[in-house]
This record gives sequence, C-alpha cells and structure tokens, in this order.
Amino acid sequence: MSGGYNEIHPEPTTFWSKYIFSFDHKVIAKQFLWYGIFFLGVGGLMALLIRWTLAYPGVPFPVIGNLLFPGSNGIVPPDTYAMLFTLHGTIMIFYAITPILIGAFGNYCIPLMIGARDMAFPLLNMLSFWFAFLSGVVLLISFVTPLGAAAGGWTSYPTLSTLIGSPGAGQTLWCVAIFLFGISSTMGAVNYVTTVITLRAPGMGYFDMPLTIWGLWLTAILNAIFVPVLGAGVILLILDRIMGTTFFLAGASATSGSGDPVLFQHVFWIFGHPEVYILILPAWGIVSDLLSFFSRKPAFGAKATALSMTSISILSTLVYGHHMFTTQMSPLLTQSFMTLTMTISIPSAIFFANWLGTIWRGSIRFDSPMLFSLGVVFVFGLGGLTGLHLGTTTTDLYLHDTYFVVGHFHYTMAASVLLGGFAGTYFWFPKMFGRMMNETLAKIHFWGTMIPLNGIFFGMLLVGYGGMHRRIYNPFIYESLQRLIPVNNIITISAILMGAFQLVFVYNFILSLRKGAKAEQNPWQVGTLEWTIPSPPPHHNYDEIPVVKCGPHEFGNPNLKTGRDFQYQTEELVQA
Amino acid sequence: MTFKRSEAQINLASNIVIISMAMLFATLFMGYAIYRTSAPMWPPYGTKKVSLLLPSLSTLTLFISSFFCHQVFVNCKKDDFKKAHFNLNLTILLGVGFMVSQGLLWFQMKGAGLYVSSGIFASLTYAFTWIHFAHMVLGLLALFYLKRVLKPETINILTKTSSVENFWYFLEIVWIIMFITLFVF
Repeated sequence: MSGGYNEIHPEPTTFWSKYIFSFDHKVIAKQFLWYGIFFLGVGGLMALLIRWTLAYPGVPFPVIGNLLFPGSNGIVPPDTYAMLFTLHGTIMIFYAITPILIGAFGNYCIPLMIGARDMAFPLLNMLSFWFAFLSGVVLLISFVTPLGAAAGGWTSYPTLSTLIGSPGAGQTLWCVAIFLFGISSTMGAVNYVTTVITLRAPGMGYFDMPLTIWGLWLTAILNAIFVPVLGAGVILLILDRIMGTTFFLAGASATSGSGDPVLFQHVFWIFGHPEVYILILPAWGIVSDLLSFFSRKPAFGAKATALSMTSISILSTLVYGHHMFTTQMSPLLTQSFMTLTMTISIPSAIFFANWLGTIWRGSIRFDSPMLFSLGVVFVFGLGGLTGLHLGTTTTDLYLHDTYFVVGHFHYTMAASVLLGGFAGTYFWFPKMFGRMMNETLAKIHFWGTMIPLNGIFFGMLLVGYGGMHRRIYNPFIYESLQRLIPVNNIITISAILMGAFQLVFVYNFILSLRKGAKAEQNPWQVGTLEWTIPSPPPHHNYDEIPVVKCGPHEFGNPNLKTGRDFQYQTEELVQA
Repeated sequence: MTFKRSEAQINLASNIVIISMAMLFATLFMGYAIYRTSAPMWPPYGTKKVSLLLPSLSTLTLFISSFFCHQVFVNCKKDDFKKAHFNLNLTILLGVGFMVSQGLLWFQMKGAGLYVSSGIFASLTYAFTWIHFAHMVLGLLALFYLKRVLKPETINILTKTSSVENFWYFLEIVWIIMFITLFVF
C-alpha cells in the first residue's frame, strides 16, 4: 500500500511554531533528543548513586551528597535507595532510551530515509511529544511528594506498588506518568506505521527500505499492540490506589472475591517482553545498516536480517512467561515458555551471523559510528548468550532476581541500545545539525564507554552468579556476600569512569553544534535517500520526491564507473 | 494549519487505533476471565447481581445508534448530506442516551450497596463500564468532528465517515461483550 499525500507544508514563521509546537518531524526529533539526553543524565546520576551505595555502604556520596541528602549527612537513605533503583529503571527505559531511539531517530529517519516530506500525521506527531513531555513532568513531580517517588521497582509489582507497599502519591503519579507516556507512544506508533506503509518513495519496496526503518517500523507495530496492555494494568493499579478496589490485592475479602497480585505480573510481562524488543529493534536496525555502510559492503543477507527481526518481533509476543518462572507456574507452562524462548535464538543467530558476514573481509572504516556499531555486536552477543541461562527454567530458578539478571538485561537493553544510540547520533549528527562531530573526542568517548561498560555489566554477571540479589540496600550485612565487595568496588569505579567519559560526549556535542566543521551533503559516502539532500535538510526535505531504483546497501560494485564505491538509491543498479 | 491525507492513511491509522484500544480491552477481559474462573462462585457469595434492565436498555440504545451511524455512511455514499446529518444527530443523541443510562446504572448500583470498593464483582463492573465510558466520550468527540466536516466538499468524506463508523461499531462490540460477561452470565 502506498499513495499518501506528500505535500509541502508552509514553513513556520514564529519562534513558537518553529521550535516549540512544531509539526516538522525534524524539529520534533530534536525535541525528543534533548528530552532523552536530559533524562539520560538524570537516570545516569541515579545509577551512580545506586552504585556508590553498593560499593561504599554508609559513606556519603561525594561532592553533591550533602546537597541531595542533608538529613543523612550525604549518605543515600534506604527508602531513597528503593526510589532510586525504581526511577533509574523507569527513566532509562521510558524516558531516555524510548525518546532517543524511537522518538528522535524514528522521527528524524523515517521520513528522510523513505523519501517523504513529513510524517503522515504531523499534528499527532507534535501531540506525541507533548504527551511525553507532560508524562516526564508528572514523573519528576513525584519526587517532591511527601513520601517521595515510587519505590516498588520499575516493574511496580503489587503488593509493593499498592497502598500497602507504597503509601503516598509517588506511586500513583508513576502510574499516571506511565499511562500518559503510553498515549504518547501509541500516537507515535500510529504515525510511524502509517508513514512507512503509505509514504514510501515510488519504487521503494519493503526490502528496499534501510534496515533502520525495518527496526523502527517493527518497533512501532509492537508499540501499537502492546503498550495498551500495560495501559490496562496501570489503570487497574490506579483504581486500586485511589478508589479502594482490590484487583491486585490477594485475600482482600474472604467473601466477596479477591484480587490477584500475580495477574499484574502477567499483564506487565505481556507488555514487558515485547518492550525489550521495542527498545532494541531500532538499535539493531541502525547497526545492521551502519555495519554495511562502514564495511563498504552490501549488508550480508539483508532480507534474512529483516525477516529475522520480524520473526523475533512475533516470537517476542509469546515468551513473556520466562520472567515468571518463580511464580509457581505450572511445569507444563514453564516448559512451553522455555521452549518458545529458546526458539528466539534461531532468528537472533541468523541476523547475528549476518552482521559478522557483513563485516567479513570488508574495507572497514573505523569511524566513530562504526566503532559504536561493533561495540553493539560485542555487547549484544554477550547479552544474548547470558539470556539463555535465564530462559532455561532450571538455571533461572537459581539466578532469578540476582545481579546476573541485572547484568544480562543491561548488556542487552542498556549497553546495546546505548551504544546503538551513540552510533546513530554520531552518524546522523551531520545531517541533523549540518556540522561534523569531533572524531578524536568521539573515539575517546567510545573507548571510555566500552571498557568501563564491560567492567560494570560483566561484574554484575559475576556477583549475580555469586548469589548477590538485586534491590538490597546493603547486601554485605550477609556474611556470604562480603567476598563480593571487591567486585562491587570494581563495578562502581567502572560506573564512575563511564559516567565521566559521558562528559566527553556532552562536550563534543555542544562544541560540534557551535564550532564543528561544516558537514558535506554526504560525509559518510552512503547511498540512502537522506544523503541525497543538503545537511541539514530543507523544511520540506525533498524538492521532488525521489524515485528509488536500488537497495540501500549497494557498495563495492566493480562495474561502477562513477568514481564512487557506492550507489545512491535513486540510481539505476549497475549490473555486473 | 491543515494537512491533506489519503484514504489509505486514514483507514490504516484508524484501524491501528482500534487495534490498540482492542488490546486494552482484551487485557481487561483476560483479567476478568482469571478473576471469574478462580472464584468459587460468581458473583461471589453475598454479592447481589445487577438488575438487567438498565444494561439491556444501554445495549439496545447503542445497537440502534449503530444502525443510524451506518445510515450516515449510506447517505454520504448517495450524496444525501441532509439525511446524513439527520442520522448523525440521531446517532449522537442515542450515544448520549447510552451514557445517561450508564450513569443511572451506577446510581442504581450505589443504591443497592454496590460501591466500587465492595469486592471484585462491583470493582470489575464499575472499572470496565468507566473505561468503556471514557472511550464513548472519544467516540462522541469523533461523531462531533464528523458533524463538522460532513459536507460534500470535504476531501475523503466517505473514508472519514467509515472510520468513525468503525470506531462506533468497535465501542458497540466491546459493550456487548461487557453486557454478556458482566451482566447476563
């Protein structure tokens, strides 16, 4: 299906219509980018507070500790610790990764890479950002409520998240914020799916789309289907909290029926497992493209990669039960979920092998986007392999709720997505802002992120395997865990180092915005549609809608006579 | 600023919206099935069933409104916009009637001592009807939007009408499932 209107909208003339309430997908993408980077900073600071507490329990947090926690002489108090790990997870997943990977790259790349002038529904697009903004404000307000922010974990399992476990307005505001964010995500999803289906440039079949678009499109489909599931769960949780219902309170009444706390877990993970892929699919797509672009080779098995991502998206909807092996699930069900989970390894292995096939014997250019993409290949490999232990019932029963789980999902959801996000930022920065980022600083940032990152997350796998449970304020009151203090210290020092190296990124970003070298139209020499127009693109993107004649990864064709080693998607494929 | 959109875009987007909302209700019904099948008896011991009169009236009202909603589409197809407006007004009126009937149902339940916190049966009834009511508000807003644009010169008026009609049907289907599960059986 195609045939949407691809009209040129009049250019905005006022400050408000140009920068604040803009309909332009490029401006909205940048709004999501600033929003995501702000929350990345907030979530990152929380991570440092958590790590400091675990490595040096009872020691004041340096420099800003007294400012943040004057009542406890700069030491993170236990109740605040619970709020920190709750909000760290919530913020990183919903308010940092989602806005950057889906909001910023989705908005920026989809119209440009498919040859459209804007999203199908520009007003809906703007509303999507402002709902996300409102949601962020509500979440931040929860910090200043009398009993503080939500503290029941990012999963907000009842009974912890009901009034029994979390009195006060913080948890209620968390639910409201998540619901509002869900509305924003659904609006975005409607737009992304419709835009990809109806506004692709003439000649662009589904397999002519860059894999970045495949990732974002599949993410949007999953978002449209599964975000409302969480929406239903949080509505019922809100009712439990403010209307006195007992949907998630077991044994609330002996005679008039009672609720079921495990039901929330089902609802949460029916959404939650696809959510893992919602977050990671855009990064996979970006990396699949960048590996080809910087290896100067066609993406190996691009169709198979796209189909593997599709299969994973479908399978991701059937495996949620592996998060709940310890809820006294029937063995028949655990075995079914385990088997289905293991099936995901097949398409995962296919596209992982395709990544390796793409870089194999390529003329690799180690520019910063490529370094970060290779970083994703490494960390996702590790994250994926550790997932096998958690998808298998027998090992999961031992590892459940330990730091092994934390290490695993940080490798897959945090490290892969973060590195993929950086790869995308370094890659599209010239197109977004018309300037190049400093490559030396970018490489320092890469190694300063990559090495400590593994120190953190591999360390977590180790302490988790050693039996250290997550979400404990001071695990070392247990004698058996005291031997894990040195590893925890290494993790924390790595986290501080990684945090410090992010300042290099911030410095580079700001410096490049102001003083970066002017970007050419196509600085990376790749053939996708966005590189056929000036950097930054004009308001309407394309003067004339391009006609696509070949795929996005046409590199190294020996019959090319243009003096380039790549073809633009608008050029007729040179036959061998 | 107004943006032009094609039939394909309107159809696709409205279908995705319906799928999203269907997932929300499907989750609620999944919860309902679990509560109901795990309860020793339904409604739980000591809980009175709600009288069928008002829910039946609501069902009938919504059913008739859907008929008129479909007539709006038929009239549009025949370029008879006068009749289309008449049928749309009736649809809106019956939609409001449904909502009034729901309000009366809540009063009746309250009068019978069934509060939202009176146990899982009452909680489910209130929560589901409230959530459906919130979607009915969206449905009415869509009907009012249609009323504003229901003229021959509106681009894609047939597609817009059929999208609103589909949403109204969706609300009706959800209500019928609620009526059968919450009130009849």
